[in-house]
Amino acid sequence: MCLRRIPAQRVQKGSKIFLRKNCSDHGPFESIIWRGLSDINEWVNGSDISIPVEPHCPDNCGLCEDHLRNTCCVLINVTDNCNLNCRFCLADQDGNSPEPAFEEIHKSILELIIKDKTLLQLSGGEPTTRKDLPEIISAAKEASAKYVQLNSNGIRLGEDKSYAGKLARAGLSFVFMQFDGTDDSVYESLRGRALLKIKQKAIENCAEHNIGVTLVPTIVRDVNTKSIGEILKYAISQSPAVRGVHFQPVSYFGRIPEKPGESDRITLDELVYEIEKQTDGIIKSADLLPSSCDHPLCGFHGDFVVDGNSLLPLLKRSEKKANCCCGDTTAAEKNREFVARRWLRPAMQPDQREKFNGDIHDMDYFLKQVKTYGFTVTAMAFQDAWNIDFSRLRHCSFHVYDKGRYVPFCAYYLTGWKG
Amino acid sequence: METEKKKLICFKCNKELELRKTDFTYLGHSFFTELPRCPECGQVYVSEELVKSRISDVEMQLEDK
Repeated sequence: MCLRRIPAQRVQKGSKIFLRKNCSDHGPFESIIWRGLSDINEWVNGSDISIPVEPHCPDNCGLCEDHLRNTCCVLINVTDNCNLNCRFCLADQDGNSPEPAFEEIHKSILELIIKDKTLLQLSGGEPTTRKDLPEIISAAKEASAKYVQLNSNGIRLGEDKSYAGKLARAGLSFVFMQFDGTDDSVYESLRGRALLKIKQKAIENCAEHNIGVTLVPTIVRDVNTKSIGEILKYAISQSPAVRGVHFQPVSYFGRIPEKPGESDRITLDELVYEIEKQTDGIIKSADLLPSSCDHPLCGFHGDFVVDGNSLLPLLKRSEKKANCCCGDTTAAEKNREFVARRWLRPAMQPDQREKFNGDIHDMDYFLKQVKTYGFTVTAMAFQDAWNIDFSRLRHCSFHVYDKGRYVPFCAYYLTGWKG
Repeated sequence: METEKKKLICFKCNKELELRKTDFTYLGHSFFTELPRCPECGQVYVSEELVKSRISDVEMQLEDK
């Protein structure tokens, strides 16, 4: 928690698994990583998750010869400013930070983009607080970024109808929009104000300009742990404008209200369990597969096609060991295309939700539906000073680009318990 | 489909193939589509064009990362 590098081990107590560490200054501490709602060995399925001995991570990140994954998605931070003041914030902005100049961002863009391959995420702070965001998107597209993703709270997109059009014309591919619940009490608790209507408007405005929106809930105990099913049902009802839901169990870095206890953690097995329970089985645990491009304890993915109010799962967990992106650029590229094909909303779709009047097992109907009504359920559990695990860090394929270095996301944003 | 314009004859039974609903499975999923089939022996003709277009498209949609 003071960011000193210390040994760690995973220990089992009953059905629960904890990451236990012992700091010479702060004593022993542990963080729950699995609640035992399913078998962790079946989830990991033979992947090597052993914790490295005497690691040098995360000193000098940049990716080094010990890093086990290539870059799938790359993020640049375009501002530290924000138009919200959330209880939890990875970047801990104060709203008055100097922004990097356009020229600086442009330089990074030119350095990092691999022609017709890169998926670039523009993040912050709140990127839409920058006046030149359309120019940044244009610059990325001119440099031949294949996909440009905006990570946003959606306020500007909801407030200004023409703004989504500007971003679309600049070449924006899709939006990851903070969306914590279908009830304003959730926003009041987490974000400090009612935001549901503006989020809904943002979805509508993006739909008008064919920008796919993936909803991103931060899941916090006793705030929206009971809203998981409602979020998914709402997202399904908004398909094809909404392309999926990307869950982020709360992590404790940046600005946090207090040090986390065991009950503050939402583990991946708990999230998977709650998804099945709260969707009344529309989504089953077996439809959600552990991350193979990253570490299996970092996230999961499920791929579906919306069929009325239900979903047809396209993936099934199996005993077969999953493919990985180990040292192979084509595997990272395959992963990138896998997610982007769903997050991107195909062109030329009608504004009105079509009737689901075919048989999803009819090959032609399936092909028509899957491209329009494809839907992903994904999750990414970020690490913090309590539960950082260098095995996970070395498997990270989601990197922040900063001054010539690609840094695993969790290493980049890691902060000690004092923020 | 170009092959649909031509008459297809079963080599074994010498019967003209007829378009019939045909089931197939891939990666645990079941689909159906109309394919030319021999009314006598039931053999199905899957054209290269179909394999390279729609069937390959289905495969792509169903495969994991």
